Amino acid sequence: MNVAAGWSKRVKSRAQTRKQRNRAAQRLFAGSAALIFLVFFAIVTMLVQRSLPLWQSVSPQQFITGRVWKPDQGLFGLLPFILGTFWTTGLGIAFALPLSLLSAVYLAEYARPLTRAVIKPVLDILAGIPSVIYGMWGVLVVVPAVQNIFAPSFSRAFPHAGLFQSGNPTGFSIISAGIVLALMIAPILIALMVEILLAVPAGLREASMAVGASRWETIKYVVLPKAASGLIAALILGTSRALGETMAVLMVVGNVATLPRSLFDPAYPIPALIANNYGEMMSIPLYDSAIMGAALFLLVIVLFFNILSSLVLRRMLK
Amino acid sequence: MKSEIRTHHRWIFWLILISTLLAGCSGSAPKPETITVSGAFALYPLMTQWAEAYQQVNPAVRIDVTAGGAGKGISDTLAGAVDIGMVSRELSPEELNQGAFPVAVARDAVFGTLNAANPYLDQIMQKGFNQRLLAGIYITGEITTWGQVLGKPGVTDQIRVFTRSDSAGAAEMWALYIAGKKQSDLLGIGVNADPGILEAVIKDPLAIGYNNLNYVFDPQTQKPVNGVVIMSLDLNGSGAIEADEIFADKASAIQAVAEGRYPSPPARDLYLITKGSPGGAVKDFMIWILNDGQVYVETNGYIALNPEQLHEMRSRLDVQP
Amino acid sequence: MNPKRGTRRRLAQFEEAFWLTLMRLALLSVVIVLGWILATLLLKGLPAINWELISQPPQGGYYLGGKGGILNALLGSIYLAGGGTLLGLIFSLPVVFYLATYLHHRSRQAALIRLMLDVLWGIPSIVYGVFGFLIMLSLGLRASLLAGIITLALLELPILIRGMDEFIRTTPEELVQSSLAVGATPLETTLKVVSRQTLPGLITAVLLAFGRGIGDAASVLFTAGYTDHIPTSLFEPAASLPLAVFFQLGTPFPAVQQRAYASALVLTIIILFISLLGRWLVSHFNKFLLR
Repeated sequence: MNVAAGWSKRVKSRAQTRKQRNRAAQRLFAGSAALIFLVFFAIVTMLVQRSLPLWQSVSPQQFITGRVWKPDQGLFGLLPFILGTFWTTGLGIAFALPLSLLSAVYLAEYARPLTRAVIKPVLDILAGIPSVIYGMWGVLVVVPAVQNIFAPSFSRAFPHAGLFQSGNPTGFSIISAGIVLALMIAPILIALMVEILLAVPAGLREASMAVGASRWETIKYVVLPKAASGLIAALILGTSRALGETMAVLMVVGNVATLPRSLFDPAYPIPALIANNYGEMMSIPLYDSAIMGAALFLLVIVLFFNILSSLVLRRMLK
Repeated sequence: MKSEIRTHHRWIFWLILISTLLAGCSGSAPKPETITVSGAFALYPLMTQWAEAYQQVNPAVRIDVTAGGAGKGISDTLAGAVDIGMVSRELSPEELNQGAFPVAVARDAVFGTLNAANPYLDQIMQKGFNQRLLAGIYITGEITTWGQVLGKPGVTDQIRVFTRSDSAGAAEMWALYIAGKKQSDLLGIGVNADPGILEAVIKDPLAIGYNNLNYVFDPQTQKPVNGVVIMSLDLNGSGAIEADEIFADKASAIQAVAEGRYPSPPARDLYLITKGSPGGAVKDFMIWILNDGQVYVETNGYIALNPEQLHEMRSRLDVQP
Repeated sequence: MNPKRGTRRRLAQFEEAFWLTLMRLALLSVVIVLGWILATLLLKGLPAINWELISQPPQGGYYLGGKGGILNALLGSIYLAGGGTLLGLIFSLPVVFYLATYLHHRSRQAALIRLMLDVLWGIPSIVYGVFGFLIMLSLGLRASLLAGIITLALLELPILIRGMDEFIRTTPEELVQSSLAVGATPLETTLKVVSRQTLPGLITAVLLAFGRGIGDAASVLFTAGYTDHIPTSLFEPAASLPLAVFFQLGTPFPAVQQRAYASALVLTIIILFISLLGRWLVSHFNKFLLR
C-alpha cells in the first residue's frame, strides 16, 4: 500500500540525512492529509450534534419520506427538497456536460493559442462572478424566456408528456434553475477539462498522427481515453458543486415545497432551504436543528454520489 | 501506520497551540467603548445612520454594525457575541425565555400589491380585498382565478401568486394578518427578498404579491413604483372600498398606519434587543435612539413609533438592570 | 485507389467535420450566453462606477442613496480571499505532494482522501459559514477578518487540492518513477520534479479557489460579518464585495441597486486582473514543464 516503504529499500546506500529529511516530510505531508479527515469529521460531527434535538421529535425515516414541511406545526418532511435537489442538479449537469466537453475538446485540440489565451481569463472571471449576479440574470432573462417561450411551446409540442406540462405559468421553475446552474458550472468544467486534456502527453498525439490517424481520430482513440478518468473526475467535481449551489438557484427555482411533476414546476432544493431560513431562524432551537438535519442529509447525498461515481470510475479503469 | 498515529498527535498539539494563541490575542483585542450590533437587513441602513450620527456626538464611542439576518442578531446577542441585535420580526417565546430584551425603535408595514396592467384592475380595486379572500388565495388555495375574486365565473385568468422565499418579517406579518398563520403556510411561488417579489409582480399582469412600505413606494415620486398598484383592502369591514382604503401615495399610507386605521399586522414594530435590560454605553445609545435618533426614522422612509409607544419604550429602558 | 477505402476516408472526414461543427457551436453558445451575462453586468454597473465608489468607505445613509463608496468591501474582499487562498495553499500543498509521490495513484488511502475532498467540495458554503461560526465561538473570537480567512481557507481547501491533484495525475508517471529510480528520495522527487510539474495546475487551482473565495457570500456572512469600517487588524470584522452586492440589491432605491451591479463589476475586474496575472505566470513557467 505504501509505496515509499518499498522505495526506501532502494535508497539504503544514500546518506542518512536525506532519508531522515524524507521521513520527516512524509510525516508532515501525511499530517496535512490527516487534517482533511479532521475537517470532514468535524463538519459531520457538528451537523450531527446540531441536528440532535430534531431526532427527538422526528425519526430519520419520517424526515426523509415526509412530504410536508411546516416547522411551526412540528412537521419536518424533507422529500420535496430531496427531489428538488435531484431535479435541478440533474438538469444542470445534463445541460452543462455536453456543452462543456465539446467546448473543452475544441479549446484544447483545435483552437489557436490566441483563442485559448482570450477565453481562459474569461472563464476565470465567470467562475468568480458572485452567484447573486447569475441569479439576477436568470430572473431577467431565463425566467421570462421559460414563461413566454419554452413552457408554451413544449407543452404544445408534447401535449401528452407530463414532463412538459405545468399548471405553473410563472417561469420560476426547475428548468430555469437547471439552465442557470449549467451556466454556473460550465466555466468550472471547461477550465478543468481543458487543463486535463492539455496535460495528455504530446508524444501520444504525435505518435497517433504519425501512423496516419486524423486529428479527430487521435482525439477519439488516444486523447479522450487517456483523459477519461480525469474528465469524469472533473464532472464529479462539477456535480458536487452543483449539488451545493445556493443563491442563484434559489432566485429562479420558485421555492415551493411540493413534489415536482414537470420540468416547468417550481421546486425547492435543500441548499435553498438552508439559505432561506438559516440566518433568520437560527435562534429557535428546533428550527435550527431541522435545517442542520437537512444540511446533514445533503452531505449524505453528496457522499453517496461520490462513492457511487468513484466505484464506477474504478470499474471503468479495470 | 505507526507514524501516522504519531502525526495525529502532532497535529492535535499544533491545533491546541494555535488556538490558545488566537484565544490569547482575541482577549486583548476589543477596544473600550465599542458597541457591536448585528442582525436584520431591514434595520441595517437605519442603524448605520444612527451609528454615524451618534459617533459624531460621542467621539469616544465606536459602533460596529454588521448585518446577517434577524435570527443571527438574536443568537449573537444571546450568546454575548454582540451587544445589540436588530430584529425585524416578532420574537418567539423561546427567544424571550432566553433573556432577549426587546425595545421597539421604528415601524414598518406590509402592503399587498397588484400589477398595474392587470386587465381587471378597476373592478378589483373597486371590489377590494379582505382577509377571507386573501386566505382563499394565499392559505387554502381555493381561489385560483381572477374570476373567483370578482365573482365572475366567466373570467378564467389564473392568479399568479408570489410570496417571499427567505424567512422575512414581512411574510410572517402577511400570514398573520390574513389568517393568523405562519410564513410556511403561505402558498405561491417563492421569490428572494423584497426587490425580487416586487419585480416578479411588475413583470406579470396577473400577479399578486406583497412588499414592505419602502419598496412599494418610489422614493422620488412618493407614489407606488411604476407598474405596481397597492391593493385596496376593506379595512373597516364595510363590504365596500372607501377613498381612505386606497393608498395612492406614501404619505397616506404612513398616515393610515400612524392613526391605526391600517392594522397591525400587517404593520409591525422593528426591535433592538439586548440580553437582559441594557446598561452603560449601550443603554445611552438606545436612549439616544429613542430621543434624538427618531428624527432619522421618517427621513429614511421608516414609520415612526407613535408618541405613546415611544413613551412606553423610554420608560422600559429606564428600569434599572 | 480502393473505392471502399475512399468512402471510409470520406466518412471519417465527414465525422470530423460534424463533431468540429458541434464543438464550435457548443463553444459559441457558451461564449455568447456567458458574454451576455458579462454584458448585462457591464451595462448595469458601468454607469454607477466612479472614483468615489472605489476610493471611499460608505458614509451614513449610503444604503439609502447617500454619499460614500465600497472601499470597505473592496479591501475586505481582497484581505479575505487573499488570506484564505494563502492559508489554504499552505495546507493544501503538502497534501497534494503526499497524493502525488508518497501514495500510489490508485491506492485506497488516496481514493479515500479524494472522496473526502470531493464531498467537502459539494458542501454548500453556508454550512462552512456555520462551521466557521462555531470554530470562531470556540476560539473565543468575534466576527472578524481572521475568522473569515479561516473559513474561506476551509472552503477553498478541496478546490485547491483537487485542482492541483487532477492536473498532476495526468503528468507522466514514468517521470516520478525514473526520478526515484536514479535514487532520489520521494521528498527530493516532490520538490525537484513534481513541484515543477505542479506549477501550471497550481495556478489554475489557485485562480479557481480565489474566484470561489472572493465570490462567496454565505460563508463570510457568518464569520467576517459586515461593517462600514475598514479593518485595521485581523480581529476586526470586515466587509466583502459579494455581501455588498447582496445588501445593495436588497435596498429599495434604484440608485443603490445600481451600485450593487457596479460592485459586482469591481469584483469582476479584480478577478480579471488576478486571472491575467496568473495566466502570464503559467506561460512563463510552462517552459520548464516536462511532458
